[in-house]
Amino acid sequence: MQESAYFKNYNPTPGTWDEMYGPDSKIRDHYQKVIQYLNRESIDDLNKKEDLAKRLFMSQGITFTVYNSGEGIEKIFPFDIIPRIITGDEWAFVEKGIKQRLHVLNLFLKDVYSNQFIIKDGIVPIDIIYSCPHFLREMCNVEVPYDIYVHIAGIDLIRDYDGTFYVLEDNLRTPSGVSYMLENREITKRLFPDLLPQCGVRSVTEYPNILYKNLLSLSPRQIPHPVIVLLSPGIYNSAYFEHTTLARLMGVELVEGRDLVVNNSKVYMKTTTGLQQVDVIYRRVDDEFLDPLEFNPSSILGVSGIMGAYRKGNVAIVNAVGNGVADDKAIYSYVPEMIRYYLNEEPILKNVPTFQLGNPEEKEYVFSNINKMVVKRTNGSGGYGMLMGHAASEQETEEYKNEILKNPRDFIAQPTISLSAAPCYMQGSLTPRRIDLRPYALCGPDGIEIVPGGLTRVALREGSLVVNSSQGGGSKDTWVLL
Amino acid sequence: MLSRVASSLYWMSRYIERSDGILRMLKINYASSQDTVQKFTWEPVVRIFAGVPDEDVEVLEYDSRAVLKYMVLDRENPNSILNIITQARENARSVQEHIPKDLWQCLNEYYHAVRNPQLNYWLEKDDPITALDILIKQGMLYYGTVEITMERGEARSYMNMGHALERSIQSVDILDTKFGSVDDNPDLLTDTTYWKHLLLSLGGYEIYLKTYRSKGFEASNVLEQVMFNTDFPRSVIYSVKHIEIYFERLKSESNMEEFRELSFLIGRLQSSIRYSSVKTIYEEGLHEYLTNIRSELFKIGNKLNQHYFAFQ
Repeated sequence: MQESAYFKNYNPTPGTWDEMYGPDSKIRDHYQKVIQYLNRESIDDLNKKEDLAKRLFMSQGITFTVYNSGEGIEKIFPFDIIPRIITGDEWAFVEKGIKQRLHVLNLFLKDVYSNQFIIKDGIVPIDIIYSCPHFLREMCNVEVPYDIYVHIAGIDLIRDYDGTFYVLEDNLRTPSGVSYMLENREITKRLFPDLLPQCGVRSVTEYPNILYKNLLSLSPRQIPHPVIVLLSPGIYNSAYFEHTTLARLMGVELVEGRDLVVNNSKVYMKTTTGLQQVDVIYRRVDDEFLDPLEFNPSSILGVSGIMGAYRKGNVAIVNAVGNGVADDKAIYSYVPEMIRYYLNEEPILKNVPTFQLGNPEEKEYVFSNINKMVVKRTNGSGGYGMLMGHAASEQETEEYKNEILKNPRDFIAQPTISLSAAPCYMQGSLTPRRIDLRPYALCGPDGIEIVPGGLTRVALREGSLVVNSSQGGGSKDTWVLL
Repeated sequence: MLSRVASSLYWMSRYIERSDGILRMLKINYASSQDTVQKFTWEPVVRIFAGVPDEDVEVLEYDSRAVLKYMVLDRENPNSILNIITQARENARSVQEHIPKDLWQCLNEYYHAVRNPQLNYWLEKDDPITALDILIKQGMLYYGTVEITMERGEARSYMNMGHALERSIQSVDILDTKFGSVDDNPDLLTDTTYWKHLLLSLGGYEIYLKTYRSKGFEASNVLEQVMFNTDFPRSVIYSVKHIEIYFERLKSESNMEEFRELSFLIGRLQSSIRYSSVKTIYEEGLHEYLTNIRSELFKIGNKLNQHYFAFQ
């Protein structure tokens, strides 16, 4: 195997978990079939496959637009053709862990917006809740159907040097990327004919059907055909492709804020034959822009009065409003305690140890060990505004420390976790690159379901630990085996 | 159907129809510019399709390559093929879940074809017809894809009305401009290549030959065909008939009043065309007649916008 041309440059990074290479540089069993397949293909064949993938993304318009000097340039989200493979056992563990975590996060949101037992019992400090910008008093004591707040969650997982899974982040507001899970699979089917069934890869195509079933069950009106819509900010949103894909796959109407109007606390859409009442809104517009009467008054993406209709129970909104209080990076560190508090169970998935810089002792510790730390803003996303201690210059570190001192509550620090590596096809050979994993969990009245797969993001730059698409990241198809 | 969606579908069709008209016009005019000993003028083309101010017409008028580049690729020209197709695609993009995936891909490929840098080379230095043919073919792929994949329902009615309205406006404009030039230059009236090129650019040359073979190329026959031939898909009467057919399918209990108002406008226009002839047109004055029809067509477009697409 080692002689194959593709492995010339494959040097597993010391101190990281390699998804393909096991101990003694042996290829793990679950990667064997794929590697055998690749060895039968010439470099020319693989280059052609790479081109075909690019062409398919381009012609299907799976692109995002970068606006530069007044002209939109179409870009594709970089895609690596080699799949990332997860064994059935690994998946069973991850699935169980996410279900436990999501169950608790829903309990937490219900609690924090009603009785607040968790605060009264001293498990989560009150100031950390009330200082969170995503904690919305507008949501206190609002009844939501079945007490479900998080209907769709994207839980980001990483693997440390020994292969242990850690939760890096909970995304409970409007997690994106699921269309790439679906499209990457469609493209892989074209690139590697027959390989998926041979390897026993589980299907992800049920995702839109499960989501639709859950949305349907939330309708406040008991009628045969409730009206479900997907609310998008419009074609200039970078995730617009995803909005249309989901609307098409579920067969629901894709609307923008200007298509909706509220009258007498009911939401209607404007059609060619008059107004039609809307029952369920899967919104991809952030809380802040949802209702100019209650939140950002200059928003034109939202609908005036929609929160009034929501409070009266005349419309269901998915995900619920105000979820940001549960995926705030400062509250993240309390999730293991929440699991023990609400369920009396030990957390299945580990948290990355997190230091609150709002706490003076922890801040001291972080400052003296800053080159082993990653420091993040509690409300940041997309990989912006982070300090990677091991890679930053002395000056950058000092400047960042000054930023922290202005408002320590806004920052957390975590020890650098190295992220596992998986093979990527680059210029005719395989080389290891760092990856994470975001499975998508769907929560409905019948429980939590997770399609076997997810989005694997990959840091395409050599040595980089940042997988965000805005920072040179790409994606891979994610295979979960039987 | 959402008003915004109806409006996007309608405009998507209008833009495609417009690009098709422009491309065919450019192709035939370029071919005829290669086939004349006199100085060839692009003035009517630039006037009909680009609304260019007079001083710029003079700059462009005799420079084929400059006109082609301006009409196909110029970003500053709102009616350049590049801009029109970008608009059509933006409209399609916002209604992707209402059109078949094939159709979206087809428009998307059209868009990437217009942006192919090779086009510029053909238009500027090599054979421009190669470039125009590639784009015309993309348009034909679109029509074919609509025909075999588009659901027969409300969405298609709005699309077909967009096509028919755009097409009838184009035919009226072309007649008005071409006959207008005759007023300035009476020699054109008997210039057979002049009328032949008009027919070719509308794809009506073969039908003309079949209908008027023994009579030669006469202006009044051309006028008759483009206005009144019910078998000619680019005639005004054919297009207006199709506006009516697809509008009638939108009939619904919930907005009878608006429906009747538009139905009346369309019916009146149709009758006024059906009950006129080349003879009555000449009596009335061709330019006045065409101006009137154009304004009725615009009125239909505005009413559609007001009653069916207005969602503000």
